[in-house]
Amino acid sequence: MNKLTKESLDNIAKQSRKEEKNWIKVGMSSCGIAAGADEVLKVLIEEAKKRNIQVNIKKCGCVGMCSVEPLVEVNVEGMPRVTYGRVNKDVAIQILEDHIHNHRLVNDHIYDIQVKK
Amino acid sequence: MENKIIYVRDTGLVSPDRTKDVHTLLLNGLRDRGMQASVQAVRVSDIGVYNQGVVIKVLPDVTYFNVKDEDIGRILDAIKQDKTISELASRREPKQLRVVLRNCGVIDPESIEEYIAHDGYQAIKKVLFEFKTPDKTIDEMKKSGLRGRGGAGFPTWMKWIFAKQVASDQKYVICNGDEGDPGAYMDRSVLEGDPHSVVEGMMIAGFSIGATKGYFYIRAEYPLAVERVQKAIDQCYEAGLLGNNVLGSGFNFDLEVRLGAGAFVCGEETALIASIEGRRGTPHPRPPYPSVKGLWDKPTVINNVETLANVPYIILKGGDEFAKVGTQTSKGTKVFALTGKVKNSGLVEVPMGTSIREIVFDIGGGILNNKNIKAVQSGGPSGGVIPKDYIDTPVDYENLQKLGSIMGSGGMIVMDEDDCMVDIACFYQRFCYDESCGKCSPCRIGTTQMLNTLCKITEGLGELSDLDNLRRIAQAMQRAALCGLGQTAPNPVISTLRYYEDEYKAHIIDKKCPSKKCRNLLTYKVISEKCKKCGLCLKNCEAKAITGNKDDGYIIDMNKCIRCGRCFEVCKFKAVSKE
Amino acid sequence: MQEEKLSADIENIVKKWEGKKGSLIMILHDIQNLYGYVPRSTSLQLSKYMDVPLARIYEVITFYHFFKLEPPGKHLVQVCMGTACYLKGASDLLLELRNILGVNEGCTSNDGLFHLEVVRCLGCCGLAPVVKIDEKVYSKVTKDRIADILAEYEEEAVAK
Repeated sequence: MNKLTKESLDNIAKQSRKEEKNWIKVGMSSCGIAAGADEVLKVLIEEAKKRNIQVNIKKCGCVGMCSVEPLVEVNVEGMPRVTYGRVNKDVAIQILEDHIHNHRLVNDHIYDIQVKK
Repeated sequence: MENKIIYVRDTGLVSPDRTKDVHTLLLNGLRDRGMQASVQAVRVSDIGVYNQGVVIKVLPDVTYFNVKDEDIGRILDAIKQDKTISELASRREPKQLRVVLRNCGVIDPESIEEYIAHDGYQAIKKVLFEFKTPDKTIDEMKKSGLRGRGGAGFPTWMKWIFAKQVASDQKYVICNGDEGDPGAYMDRSVLEGDPHSVVEGMMIAGFSIGATKGYFYIRAEYPLAVERVQKAIDQCYEAGLLGNNVLGSGFNFDLEVRLGAGAFVCGEETALIASIEGRRGTPHPRPPYPSVKGLWDKPTVINNVETLANVPYIILKGGDEFAKVGTQTSKGTKVFALTGKVKNSGLVEVPMGTSIREIVFDIGGGILNNKNIKAVQSGGPSGGVIPKDYIDTPVDYENLQKLGSIMGSGGMIVMDEDDCMVDIACFYQRFCYDESCGKCSPCRIGTTQMLNTLCKITEGLGELSDLDNLRRIAQAMQRAALCGLGQTAPNPVISTLRYYEDEYKAHIIDKKCPSKKCRNLLTYKVISEKCKKCGLCLKNCEAKAITGNKDDGYIIDMNKCIRCGRCFEVCKFKAVSKE
Repeated sequence: MQEEKLSADIENIVKKWEGKKGSLIMILHDIQNLYGYVPRSTSLQLSKYMDVPLARIYEVITFYHFFKLEPPGKHLVQVCMGTACYLKGASDLLLELRNILGVNEGCTSNDGLFHLEVVRCLGCCGLAPVVKIDEKVYSKVTKDRIADILAEYEEEAVAK
């Protein structure tokens, strides 16, 4: 990255703010990793590639629900944002196939926490 | 009708869980109405409310509590017509508000671009190019009313102004990330999830007091936090946000990471400074305060991770806006690490003034295994217990202090009926005993004596005079110990004695542990009426304390018993009693 | 008296921190990362190289729980004794580990395979009780699982 000035700081902000439409975020804090988040991240990337599913898979910090880690947040255009907890390899594949591809949410893994906007 | 999604969850405490049944009813109902293509019914694991029976949520924001099976048809009909049944629908304001954790779980902590995209480094820009002076910045902090989140709650702006007022060629800012309180990990989460906001907070603190150098002091037990903070610092240097001439403003600021090495006392300011200087982390008397004479004898401001993470938000949104949330004396939000016997163990961030009940039951989902709450412990080894009768108290610095606890750094540990308060006091005392640096005798000897006495009580060897002794030692430590560790180490004992003296007395007089936790006070017995004489207990007894045979039944010899509880656990007929 | 030559590793570490104030603890961290503990010979070399008394180095090493003076076992077994883990039965796990390994905390098992240690909060309270072996964190551990968990490492050692 070039040295920022106060103008270029704003430019980067504007550019990066254009959010991608379809993304998956995997919570990769120590508690998440302890619960197996790195495995989940790997599976998501590999399986998405295998199935040719176009989705941006990213990592992020801890959302706070430590007891149900690993946590995966999914955003698909035209659908509500969803946080899945206790995600393992199988659930990760279901998320790709059902949620991302078929736009059907996965049962029994959604954690709908309420936070003031 | 567009595509709709409905969530369903049985939030009741009565088993069996009816989520699946209701889900099937919903699916059938949808099919009967020909809606299965346009409406998805999804079983969720958490619907954000607890103990409200079957809950159905029609996204985005219509929620029905305590739904009866016979209401389901009406609800589906309403969905079909895009209507809401107002007499059934409930609204509940979310309890959590995210200021400190605003970016945690939202951005990639290893990407400076993402932080910038979420208003990152806009606050330091505002300070450097709009405020232009430290005074204006500190003024904004004063308006915000932000108090230190490390425990004591000292106003942050005052710390800053003290250090600013001292003339010196060199000043320092330190971020205290030595989160040693067992059972608390708010700072780890922030450092791992949003390191840049803490870096930005440090830059603003540095500018305000006239410091050009800052140190991150982070526990070595948090390798990932260290890695991510280091990465953030490197990225900032590359982008010209650290080093000379930040953003072309003429302001210079350098940052470096220093590791702790496993010493709780280093959370204490003067000990922390000694540790950064490469020495044993022992505290020294104050005054002089670090803001006058700190790191290498230069004026130094030490702020906690959570405090610093608040700073960019305050500068950007304005101190007044920040102060809209909270109570009279405690502004803003507080992050708690909610752990122990609570269903949803995790990090919660709530406005100051939220009650403990709301935190434990409305956010935490209540107590594990449907047991009853006994108390909540806050403030770790420096804090105290808050019994269940007081859980409606709004949480702020003053209220917790009145109850004999402290806000602390934000550990909130929920205890149920199975937890013994003498045992808890003993646990914390052992911690303080282990962590006492040994420099001053009130703490070194006090923690040792208190621990011995508490151990004695849990072993059934206590005497009534021990209670007075504990109180006396506690008072001496509070008054005479050198630093915060020693002065607050008796708190868990004092507070458990204050609210649970009965429990102490049961250990001492009746030689019984009411919560059945203290091993040495337990008695195991085979209940002959329930015993099916299977012999499983005998087989599993490692201490060979059980005798008998399949004809006559079995007896436990308490003289030989090591109270491992194995027989109690393996008996399928609940024929072994534990008292 | 001939100046003892520092091994290349130590020299690199000390060089890395040259000119930075108060770097002793950071140097010790780097040494422990390299060897798993801080060998006495290194401390002696360090003392000469940095021109600080050996006692200054030892007072620091022995003050902080993190530094070790003895080589740890092949695998580091850490039982978390944070409050959350304690409430959820961490002391039972510790007892079981002591039984199986035949050593107290702070010691290495006779076969040199495991070094047992108690730590104050690994910061994974939501997963309590936890046991960490090397880099892997085992969550929600029960007493019955301990033997199986250790067996993984024993088998691996036998296979080699």
